[in-house]
Amino acid sequence: MSESSKSKSSLNLNPSPTLQCKDLHEYLKSRSAQFLETLYNYPTICLAVYRELPELARHFVIRLLFVEQPVPQAVVTSWVSQTFAKEQNKACEALSELSVWQEAPIPGGMPGWMLAQSFKKNLKVALLGGGRPWSMSSSLEPDGKARDVAFLDAYALERWECVLHYMVGSAQTEGISADAVRILLHAGLMTRDAEDGSAVITRAGFQFLLLSTAKQVWLFLQHYLHTAEKRSLSAAECLAFLYQLSFSTLGKDYSTEGMSNNMLVFLQHLREFGLVYQRKRKAGRFYPTRLALNIACVRDGVATVAPLDAGNQTGYIMVETNYRVYAYTQTNLQVALLGLFTELVYRFPNLVVGVLTRESVRAALRGGITAAQITHYLEQHSHPQMLKSETGGIRSTSVLPPTVVDQIRLWESERNRFTYTEGVVYNQFLSQADFVVLRDYAKQQGVLTWQNERSRTMVVTRAGHDDVKKFWKRYSKSS
Amino acid sequence: MVNVMKGVLVECDPAMKQFLLHLDETLALGRKFILQDLDETHLFISADIVETLQARVDDLMDQLSIPVHDKGL
Repeated sequence: MSESSKSKSSLNLNPSPTLQCKDLHEYLKSRSAQFLETLYNYPTICLAVYRELPELARHFVIRLLFVEQPVPQAVVTSWVSQTFAKEQNKACEALSELSVWQEAPIPGGMPGWMLAQSFKKNLKVALLGGGRPWSMSSSLEPDGKARDVAFLDAYALERWECVLHYMVGSAQTEGISADAVRILLHAGLMTRDAEDGSAVITRAGFQFLLLSTAKQVWLFLQHYLHTAEKRSLSAAECLAFLYQLSFSTLGKDYSTEGMSNNMLVFLQHLREFGLVYQRKRKAGRFYPTRLALNIACVRDGVATVAPLDAGNQTGYIMVETNYRVYAYTQTNLQVALLGLFTELVYRFPNLVVGVLTRESVRAALRGGITAAQITHYLEQHSHPQMLKSETGGIRSTSVLPPTVVDQIRLWESERNRFTYTEGVVYNQFLSQADFVVLRDYAKQQGVLTWQNERSRTMVVTRAGHDDVKKFWKRYSKSS
Repeated sequence: MVNVMKGVLVECDPAMKQFLLHLDETLALGRKFILQDLDETHLFISADIVETLQARVDDLMDQLSIPVHDKGL
């Protein structure tokens, strides 16, 4: 039997593209150094970035925060024992990627690290206080018509669902502005239909719908910031304001006094998506909602405020072992979402019945939705009754019938019966010795994907080909 | 002397490999595409055929499947 080691091919041959939801770290990493430099002028951003750093990196930052000169890299290395060298490398890399620190030469020629000036200054402000007070927290007279948390939640949910509704092509198109449509188009979540120019949902859009609300908002805002620059809004200023919002208190009103015109425009957009509530455009005050507060916790499991869709809403989906799905719902959005991967059979005023069929699931898979996403969605929105039901003596971690979960997975794996690896084949070696030398070299370099000694054939990855070729030339010359 | 060819290594189960050999022999995709038959579960094929091949295999799977549960209409 041949030896074969799977390796990742550089070209993505196999899976259909899945939607990437970058967290703050990855988002900032993809931006230019100048952009980061401007961002670090805002204490809120510095604090948010600091919170997202790996633990060891946070430790480094605090140790360096009050040092006014470059610290030798060797000294930083000595802070961590050798056994954790990997974690340390990761931490150093993260700090460099985000330009939190820069390399600085030390008199004497040793390389050193130095925190970026603006980051250092503003993180101190964030941690110790000082700087200018937030203009938005300037004192306001008590609101005559103060809004409570429940109202804000309902408002945020309604606004955000408006956007999602539009995406699934429900008839309801009111309440969504041209700006929002432009962002959806820009993000590739929707595309213009070739015939009549109306916006239709894309593959990425389907996957977007199955994400958690916090992720949806963050992804949407990332694209908003991209387009913001074209509308002469400063992305840095907007991002800083967003993070300022994420540090604010739910149910408290804030003043719009002292905000620049650009920021007022931005505020109106946030109002449209349900991130802030304003009674009137010129009210002079606004309430941040849960959607805005959760921006800082896109990463799983770090939500500081309970996510919007968890506690307030109970599940509504029942799945039976015969692949039937009953959804107790009235909203078009939930029906449309279910329709992505089930075949809908009946619709009653408060109940929808559908069947998970091979065709319907495959259609979803072809759209780039994964089996895990489907089962996760069904699980997340399971009816309370499902939690009580027995799984027929089979112990299962999921509340869904095991047969259904397995079948959905099988339908997915059936589409991937092949693994493709780009590579280069070497054969027709003149002697066994030549073959063994080259094979061992490729194996050593970790680029060998397949080999057979009897037929003197080997396959190396596309990336490793140049290296192996060079080695072969050197080798054949010397022998 | 060593012979070098670029392409794509395909790993699959023996049954699917026979299907690929069949496609190759009958020129079902318009031409031959297998560069080398490596072993029971590995084939080396030309890179530009992969997309057509994937569509073809998808078709095959469609023909093979029979809906097992009734919709209860």
